[in-house]
Amino acid sequence: MTVNASAGTPKLAVRGLTHRFDIGDERTPLTVLLDIELSIPRGQFVCIIGESGCGKSTLLRMMAGLLTPSEGKVLHDGLAIRGVNQALGFVFQQDAVFPWLTVERNVEYGPRSRGVPRHERERLVAHWCNAVGLGSFRKAYPKQLSGGMRKRVDLARAYANSPDVLLMDEPFAALDVQTKATMQEAVLKLWESTQKTVVFVTHDLDEAVFLADVVIVLSSRPGRVHAVIDNPLRRPRDEATRVSDEFAAAKRALWTALQDARKQGGSAALPPVTNESSRQAVSNPESVRS
Amino acid sequence: MTQRTGLLRRVMRPSVLVGALSLCGVVALYWAMALQPGTNAALVPPPPVILQTFVEELRSGDLLTNTVASMKRVLIGYAIGAALALALGALAGWFRWWGYILNPIIDALRPIPALAYIPLVIVWVGIGEPSRIIIIALAVFKPIVVNARAGMLEVAQIYVDAARTLGASKWRVFATVALPSAVPYFIAGMRTGVSTGFLALVAAELIAAPSGLGFMIQNAGQYFRTDVTIVGIIVIGVLGALLDQTASRAGRAMTAWSDVRRDP
Repeated sequence: MTVNASAGTPKLAVRGLTHRFDIGDERTPLTVLLDIELSIPRGQFVCIIGESGCGKSTLLRMMAGLLTPSEGKVLHDGLAIRGVNQALGFVFQQDAVFPWLTVERNVEYGPRSRGVPRHERERLVAHWCNAVGLGSFRKAYPKQLSGGMRKRVDLARAYANSPDVLLMDEPFAALDVQTKATMQEAVLKLWESTQKTVVFVTHDLDEAVFLADVVIVLSSRPGRVHAVIDNPLRRPRDEATRVSDEFAAAKRALWTALQDARKQGGSAALPPVTNESSRQAVSNPESVRS
Repeated sequence: MTQRTGLLRRVMRPSVLVGALSLCGVVALYWAMALQPGTNAALVPPPPVILQTFVEELRSGDLLTNTVASMKRVLIGYAIGAALALALGALAGWFRWWGYILNPIIDALRPIPALAYIPLVIVWVGIGEPSRIIIIALAVFKPIVVNARAGMLEVAQIYVDAARTLGASKWRVFATVALPSAVPYFIAGMRTGVSTGFLALVAAELIAAPSGLGFMIQNAGQYFRTDVTIVGIIVIGVLGALLDQTASRAGRAMTAWSDVRRDP
């Protein structure tokens, strides 16, 4: 279940990670993630896909140290993380740009927190505002920007902090199709120019195929690593890539894997979300093991 | 020229026009009451008499002296009460241990009206200027501390998480995320504080004050000068409204970043 065993110490690794949530008055907690093992080498663009509720966002938050797993650990450069790992950048699904700060103040927030001197901060702000195409909006407040532009601010803010790894949690889920496509190209461009490792959670197959080197497919209830798929799609990728036969083939392969994961996860088609089904999953995890 | 048309347009706005009409309605109703046969004009003076008294009080300088004395007390008491309330409310709402320490105190003080402290304050501090300021500060403190704490408890987790992943320390999250996002609550509390402050002002001046609007009202009442009492009440109302507007404007300027619609 390793993504790539050849690269020595992985940039980010997950070892024996299991997580349970207490839900309401239930005596038995709900297992959301079970025995997750991952190794993500330096510089790779990894997408995590899975049905909604499979725990993919929870997994990402644990990689960032925003949540602590019930069992197991996350290793960054071979060292177990404790608490929020501030060497990693995080782009949230929700709008997380600080509305009370201007665009440039948002972008310099990370460097400022780390005590980067002013002239260096100014250089960073100028560089990253331009890199995401917001050079002329530096003095604007977020409320004056569109949803897509706010996501650009979020990306610039994350990159300006020079994170070692970028974790993105369905960052473009709320955007319209056109804006989403533009943002995906922007992310690829940033990735190509910085060579930083990216872990990107999504439920959108097109997005995963377009962005990823490797796609991790999670099954549901409990979330387990169902498959790790190398994406054969060639780089560089652009608009034309989206309508190529290669793209369609890669997407089909992913779709099949996802369907497989669903069946094995024991939640066919439209499973009823009841206490009954969750209790089953908890009390008998063996039955859903692949 | 443009300024004049601008002013004209502002006066002609429906909110201003209807508001003025509604106030006129209250005056007309009072006037009708004053003109009822059998009504004692000394006890229910008609509006022209009140206006005349207002001008007299203004000329004699008494009104100004009393207003200045009251405003001084309100502003000093308000500043002390608000500063303490904002600081303690913010700490109690944000840091767990500060909350453990301060929450029981805040919640115990909550149901007690500030005026209930008057006898204690008099016994402990005397009947001088400090005791009046303390009573006003106490009255201002309560709504602001409760609102400030509530604002800190409502800070969106997403901003806190974002700041933490960007490398912000605990203190930096408090100062640059929690405080700014709770500002709308601070403003709401500070506006309520203006009205409770004025409430306490009048009560504080009822106890042996040598000057002030509360003293003026009380003194006039003892001599059946209802007209002077009414003038005093109106001045307090207008001053309170002005202070409230100032607080509201300052608040709006401080939260210009927000796209949430706020009360007028």
